[in-house]
Amino acid sequence: MISEFVMIVVGGLKMGAIYSLTAIGIVVIHKATRTVNFAHGAFVLCGAYVTYGVVEVLHIGYWAAFILASLAAGLLATVLEFGILRPIRQADSFAVITATIFIGIGLAEIYRLVENTEMLAVGGMIGGWPLFIGDAMITREQIAVVVGATIAATFGIAIFAYARFGRGMRAMASNPRGAVICGYSSDAMNALAWFVGGAMAGLAGAFAAPSTGVSAELSILMVTAGFAAAVIGGFDSLKGALLGGLILGVAETLAAGYVSSAMKNAVSFLLIFVVLLCRPQGLFPEAKIRNV
Amino acid sequence: MFSGPLVRVLAPSLFLLALSVAGLGLPSYWQYVLALSVSAAVIGSALAMLVGYARCITIATGAMLAIGAYSGTLAVLRFDVPFLAALLIASVFGAVAGFVLAVPGVRFRSHNMAMVTFVFQAVVIIVLRQSKSLTGGAEGLQVPVPHILGFSFSDDGHFLVLCGVLSALSILPLVLLLEGAFGKNLRAVASNENAARAFGINVNLHLVTAFVWSSAVIACAGAIMAPRFRIIDPDSYGILASIFALTYPIVGGMSSIWGGLMGGIVLRALPEVLRPVADYLELIFCVLVVLTILFFPQGFASMVPGFARRKAAKNVGAGEPTFPRNVIEDKNMIERLAAPATSPEPLGRPLLRITGVSKSYGALRAVADVSFDVPHHAIHGLMGPNGAGKTTLFNMVSGLTLHDQGEVFFDGMPLSTVPVEARIGLGMTRTFQHAAVFDKLTCLDNARIGIGRNGIWQSTIRSAQWALSLRQASAEYKAAMGALDAVGLAARAHALAGSLSLGDQRRLEIARAIISQPKVILLDEPVSGVSIDEAESLRLLLITINRELGTGIVIIEHNIGFLVSLCMRISVMSEGRVIADDDAKVVVNDAHVRRAYFGERETAA
Amino acid sequence: MRTKFMKVGRRAVIKSIATGLATSTFGVFPRLAFADERQGVTDTEILIGGLGPITGPTAFIGAPGRDGIQLAIEKINETGPINGRKLRLTYEHAATPAESVAAAKKLTENDKVFVLVLASGSTGAAAAADYVRSAKIPTYNIFGATPIIREPFARNIFHGSMPDPVVTGSEMVNEIFKAVPNAKKVGVLAGTYAFPQANLKAMTPILQKRGLEVVLEQFDANANDYTAQLVAFARQRVEVILVLGSYTEAGFAIKQAPDKGVGDVAWVLDGSGTNDAIVSIIGKENSKNLWGYYNAPYFPSQSEGPIVNFVKIWTAKYGQPPQGRPSLYDIVSYGCTYVMAQAIKNAGRDLTWSSLMDSWEKLHNAKPSDLGGYDVIFPETVSAADHQGNKLVGPSRIVDGKWKVIP
Repeated sequence: MISEFVMIVVGGLKMGAIYSLTAIGIVVIHKATRTVNFAHGAFVLCGAYVTYGVVEVLHIGYWAAFILASLAAGLLATVLEFGILRPIRQADSFAVITATIFIGIGLAEIYRLVENTEMLAVGGMIGGWPLFIGDAMITREQIAVVVGATIAATFGIAIFAYARFGRGMRAMASNPRGAVICGYSSDAMNALAWFVGGAMAGLAGAFAAPSTGVSAELSILMVTAGFAAAVIGGFDSLKGALLGGLILGVAETLAAGYVSSAMKNAVSFLLIFVVLLCRPQGLFPEAKIRNV
Repeated sequence: MFSGPLVRVLAPSLFLLALSVAGLGLPSYWQYVLALSVSAAVIGSALAMLVGYARCITIATGAMLAIGAYSGTLAVLRFDVPFLAALLIASVFGAVAGFVLAVPGVRFRSHNMAMVTFVFQAVVIIVLRQSKSLTGGAEGLQVPVPHILGFSFSDDGHFLVLCGVLSALSILPLVLLLEGAFGKNLRAVASNENAARAFGINVNLHLVTAFVWSSAVIACAGAIMAPRFRIIDPDSYGILASIFALTYPIVGGMSSIWGGLMGGIVLRALPEVLRPVADYLELIFCVLVVLTILFFPQGFASMVPGFARRKAAKNVGAGEPTFPRNVIEDKNMIERLAAPATSPEPLGRPLLRITGVSKSYGALRAVADVSFDVPHHAIHGLMGPNGAGKTTLFNMVSGLTLHDQGEVFFDGMPLSTVPVEARIGLGMTRTFQHAAVFDKLTCLDNARIGIGRNGIWQSTIRSAQWALSLRQASAEYKAAMGALDAVGLAARAHALAGSLSLGDQRRLEIARAIISQPKVILLDEPVSGVSIDEAESLRLLLITINRELGTGIVIIEHNIGFLVSLCMRISVMSEGRVIADDDAKVVVNDAHVRRAYFGERETAA
Repeated sequence: MRTKFMKVGRRAVIKSIATGLATSTFGVFPRLAFADERQGVTDTEILIGGLGPITGPTAFIGAPGRDGIQLAIEKINETGPINGRKLRLTYEHAATPAESVAAAKKLTENDKVFVLVLASGSTGAAAAADYVRSAKIPTYNIFGATPIIREPFARNIFHGSMPDPVVTGSEMVNEIFKAVPNAKKVGVLAGTYAFPQANLKAMTPILQKRGLEVVLEQFDANANDYTAQLVAFARQRVEVILVLGSYTEAGFAIKQAPDKGVGDVAWVLDGSGTNDAIVSIIGKENSKNLWGYYNAPYFPSQSEGPIVNFVKIWTAKYGQPPQGRPSLYDIVSYGCTYVMAQAIKNAGRDLTWSSLMDSWEKLHNAKPSDLGGYDVIFPETVSAADHQGNKLVGPSRIVDGKWKVIP
């Protein structure tokens, strides 16, 4: 019984770690530019696709995949920000949100047109004997994903909190004019924020590729999970996004294991709903209350 | 006659009807496509209300369509309900669903609201899919051909006409509401929620009502079209259906129901027309939407000249707005007005009694134990350095912020029991520090909202009154024009408030605040950023209002000369406390006040 | 800056969209109203209408459907006209029921095709079938398995290589007992979408009749984490797991199984699971205990004569195959087109709907080689009472990393 529980939790943590990475990317972009990016799933798809190319087509190792996937997705994000979102940055949030929704779908469609297959399979990161905790079996792949994704996520959080451009992004978010006066370039900061957010997504795609394969559906799956995780964690908190993803992954798998396997998705939606109702600021509220 | 309100309200329905009848000349396949388009026009119109007017992002359209389609079909299949009655049932289910979605949904805005609608969408589809015994589950449900009084609508042409008639009827309530006061209130909410609330518009109630109406109509559309699909299955109504329905108002046009309507017709027919490039269809749609957002943020409808007249900031009678006429004309009056009156005798119970009001934000005490009185018909000033707590105090008096301690009494009534939206009914209106006009509405509409009577029921009735050109509607029009005239904006009555200069926007705010002839107006920095001449004309206006209408005025200002020349008494706040409260001339010379404001130190004697 | 950007862009966009819409919408509409028995047949040509999803998540059905039909038609035309007429295909995208009805209407009433081919799965085919029942046009359902397409019986609807779920279900149960001869407990992993649910409905009574205890777990389409379901199977100690879902879904389940304690069960897959691409997901070493069935006598990767030639002509026309192609759907649509052509040929020069249906109902062991094609499908036999052309299924196993039909 316990071993079952452990296996379920670990399984949930693996997907959860991937959700966390995705969510962190979403939150980075939101914290720095106040933009809600519904196209994020397409960045994950980009990362996964590049991983396929590197691992399955070019047969280079996974290390190259991580680097190239994040770079590619980061670049895609920056190009998008520069080309489409910058002109409408001044428009109301409604326009931006709908634009990102359709950009996300459009990118997934482009992928589907280019790679006319149902799914591209990607080999695992680490083979070898699994570990045993009592009766519970935990594969190295699971450990690699959980640990790797968590490290990447923490790294992203650290950058944002401490590095110079991290500070610049935060400054830009809370007071754009002030930040510009202090010498930060609004355009550069926005582009950088999107790059970092996109890179996180690309990394998530690299981690996800062996577990989910590369397909256009990955885009919608990851954006909804990433969003759910971000909402649970409190939309403006990076720590929250990290935790939110893990919580979401585990909750989903627990629900599928102990309630009903058909209700797996329903549970994650209900979780979002309950969080929004009972604690809309999420786990780690960071938004400040503004006066009228 | 042709621009009469009734014609405006009937026009979309008549258009749909005419389109359907005109389609009888088409071959059967194109009749089918046209029926699909007409139904999509209905969906687009309903979304115009939610997405265009109220600016709510909803990704639950597919779920609403499914609820309508399934409830209508099951009513016919399982309970032998006649088709038309089944449509009503479907609409009711849709309305209930809209309510269930909206009650939690309207607590949020923007992307969080989108998330709530997304959850609703996903859960509905999952429930439909899992309830195999009721709905047939993933394999779908076979839908019977509609019958009305024995007549079977299996022929494409017959169905097209039926669809046209039903669609025309189902959008009537939508158009009526949107063209009338309800639609204006929704626009006001989308422009500036706090200002809307201050003028009696209950934001949440309005949004919930918008959800209920649009969901009911969408569900009805789903039930109408279900028989044509032969089989309905949950996956047809999934998230992609919701997202692509969003394209109707976005591409068609966000500012009027015609936008949603035309968007629906064109975009629903587009996949049929673009069959040769079916591979690229979804991509084309996405590109279309993104291009529209980039280049045509108001949608394609804004390109049509007829619609442009509604949106264009027409400079009807361009040039400087005139000074308020009734003041300038009388030179004697000007002299009389130039000198402010001395404080009138207090009339027993004060109009406004603020006792011990405090408000803290965490460790910061924004307002600390403030007390003062404002008698009826007085002009009372409130001044103090930045951060003194003046606007916070105003917000507590007007109800946008809840005080931690103390109480505000309005004509003897404790205000903590009175919600923001009800205060205009008591006789309190206000303006805002950053001119909070409803920028998407005309000056005339801004003023009309100031009349009050903006409760849900009242705005519905007023919409009907306007449509039928009843006397109340023209009375409102006259009152609004009168208020605009008083502030000198009569020439700009049909201009969009967002196109006005800052000074004119402040005037508009005042017009909106005075039209209901309130007992007191709260003015928050009405002359900041405004020219000297403007300030003077505003001062004269305020004095006139006070004299002629007996309206009390409480005014926050930094312009001390302005305050002194206007007010009878002035309260001075600093760091959350009242440090002086006396006649205007006295306060200005008070040492404490000078120190707080100018940092003057006592000079050595 | 923004207004100038907008103005230039606006004009360009308006111009291009306006011209596009104008030219496509305001074409000439044919004025005839309904469909008739002889439509789609000219002196030299027979117009075939096909519909199925070519984009979207189910594109793996409709796109190969179109490609297979097109390939077959070209080859048939090369061998010689059918009673003096060549075949021509016009194909419409259709995924949801709404799109399927629209496509069927367009093909039948607007383009006036002679015969319809449904290259659609489940709900789309069911909706189109409902339409054709009233339109009376001969319709060939080549992929749809669900019962809704087959009931009520309609004289103008014929079914091709895919038998109904009862037949395939029985075969899967046979495979269960082949894999584990005295199996008592079987885990069933079923997708919640239409096709697996239809299979589940058909299979459950068969499983019970054969005395098997069923542990049912489900998953949503395109799920990729089966931790919970596998753990449940482990807990119940099932001996065999039956997967009703696509090869991607089955593949992930199989891949994750060993870590969850279900390492040594046998796996039985349904028709959508038996695809060579599954091996790239689970790895060659894990593909030993997989059983399934195939709706054709050969897998694309087998090295028997007809299929090798088929892959050759497919590659010659469509170029180097992407992963997973040609698939079962290519094979079936190619082969079924030959069967249909045979029925058309046997109807003679006087080609009407009635003569076609008469001729179709007399088909006996019709196969592609009758018209010079490659025999990559099971032969079809039709009668007036039974419009199911093929009732055979090919039991299959993975040999050396590739699926093989083992008759």
